[in-house]
Amino acid sequence: MAQNLTKSGDIYVPQIATLVRKERLTELETFFEIQLESNQPLGHRPGQFVMVSLPGLGEAPISVSSRPVGNTFELVVRRIGRLTTAMHRMEVGDKLGIRGPFGTDFPVNTFRGQDVLFICGGIGLVPVRGAILEVLANRAAYGHVAILYGTRGPSERLFVDDLARWKAREDVTFLETVDRGSDAWDGNVGVITTLIPKIEIAPERTAVVVCGPPIMYKFVLMELYQQNVPKENIYVSLERRMKCGVGKCGHCQINGLYTCLDGPVFRYADVSDVREAI
Amino acid sequence: MTDPREKLVVGAGWQEKLVDALHGDNVRVLAPVLTEGTAEFREISAAAEMATEWINTRTPVKAVLFPRTEALVEFERRPGEDVQFTAADNEAVPTVVLGARPCDLNALDVLDTVFNWDYRDKLYAERRAATTFVGVACTRSDEACFCTGMGGRADDNEGSDLFVRPMPDGGAVLEVMNERGAALAKRLDGAAPAVGTEELVPPAQVGAGPFDTEKVKEWLDTHFDDDFWTDMSLKCLGCGACSYLCPTCHCFDIVDESDWRKGQRRRNWDCCSFAQFTKHASGHNPRPEQHSRCRNRIMHKFKYFIDRFGRKACVGCGRCIRVCGAGQDLVDILAEITTAAS
Repeated sequence: MAQNLTKSGDIYVPQIATLVRKERLTELETFFEIQLESNQPLGHRPGQFVMVSLPGLGEAPISVSSRPVGNTFELVVRRIGRLTTAMHRMEVGDKLGIRGPFGTDFPVNTFRGQDVLFICGGIGLVPVRGAILEVLANRAAYGHVAILYGTRGPSERLFVDDLARWKAREDVTFLETVDRGSDAWDGNVGVITTLIPKIEIAPERTAVVVCGPPIMYKFVLMELYQQNVPKENIYVSLERRMKCGVGKCGHCQINGLYTCLDGPVFRYADVSDVREAI
Repeated sequence: MTDPREKLVVGAGWQEKLVDALHGDNVRVLAPVLTEGTAEFREISAAAEMATEWINTRTPVKAVLFPRTEALVEFERRPGEDVQFTAADNEAVPTVVLGARPCDLNALDVLDTVFNWDYRDKLYAERRAATTFVGVACTRSDEACFCTGMGGRADDNEGSDLFVRPMPDGGAVLEVMNERGAALAKRLDGAAPAVGTEELVPPAQVGAGPFDTEKVKEWLDTHFDDDFWTDMSLKCLGCGACSYLCPTCHCFDIVDESDWRKGQRRRNWDCCSFAQFTKHASGHNPRPEQHSRCRNRIMHKFKYFIDRFGRKACVGCGRCIRVCGAGQDLVDILAEITTAAS
């Protein structure tokens, strides 16, 4: 890790970082590009998260949405509480605190040679985006690649430029849907599970990445079960209210698991029998 | 129980001698002090301030290593400069805790495990390294004590650096358990040895018979969904007092306290019985009802911690029973589970 956060150092002290680019994506979500003061890469892997903080307003766990390239990294933050509201008011050049990266990642390198299916709902695209970009950057190493994306409405679609690029690619199956359409929307309408039967899945050689709101998992996982996808091939990213990020504070525990260290990315086979997980 | 490296018999007045010697070395001494009938660990300036008759302190010894509230990070904005985050000063001053009870010292193993697994919590570890624990065998107990139910005993020397077995005349048999205890015993060289027999004050009789915690765990392994949880949680107020005073509970919250210019990021004891404990910013709560939170508390102590770290997270100190305003009794809960498991 290219930073001061070592396993036995000052594990609660953030390093200073600078907001270098900011872009509003939707009414509630804003994109932040961030550079560490050390000018070193964050050193993350797709699916990991950082603890973001502003002095006086506290910390929150936020997924990294970028590929691990370059000296900056990207976050997408929903304006929902005190800290995230303050983040939305930040201007380019403002400073913030970063700890991390923490947690497990989507092991895309182990997917090489297989088909890959990404299923994302709403803001669930954020932690998965880095993994999608990583797979597409090494496209030849993978079999069929499919991306399914669902949002509540057309105005809540994130990363619309990425979505357009993925849709235009011939080597990617990209399907999306919205729960409720609008006059301008001529795409699919319906929940994300309606997209799954529209694609062909070779269950034994497909790695599936699922991320979305809690309710989405139940139905998507049922649909994948119908399609005979083994639990071992499915990866989920779970959200918990992490406070410390380093396996001490107890907030993110799911039974005996620490979501901050054992997760947030879990192989579904490892959590399907863990109560309260999904 | 572990065989001590060495035993030392000291006569009445050994505490005075030890406390004076430690103060001469600029070592802070914490001991149970009676305030309005309640014993709490306080810094003492003379051995005479120490309680003579106490069952256990209200707050467990964990608070010495993991205080109720402490600063993790300091931050400050200076005009024209960027904000800076710095590690808060660690108050790891050389300390001797005189008069800790066996149950509390047994619980330190749980805290050591959590604060050192994977990432190492420097604040805890530095304080731990600076602290020596002198355990004292219990000679009295009350109806809430149940260390024996958890496999402990009133005169267990496990977890002590130096262990004290009191004698009726004020003297004691001191058991040196490790290097730290030996260093402390050295400070007692020349203490008047007790004359005559080494008759000890008999250890306290603790009522609770041993629970079959393996059987309890077997039941927990298969009864995540059971009406038992709803029934047992009905009287829980969700106040968190049981966790705060539990010697093994270690959950904490992290909050910022500041004015516009400077402040601290602090950690404060927290509790999985609180409704907000797992609530997400989105409003989603993985443990939405009190019964799911009460279940987590029992599961964590008697199943999850065992699954993860190989030991149970209860030492039978009885504080949760003494403090509960609603009369929740962990011994009853374990007895019910044991019955259900039979």
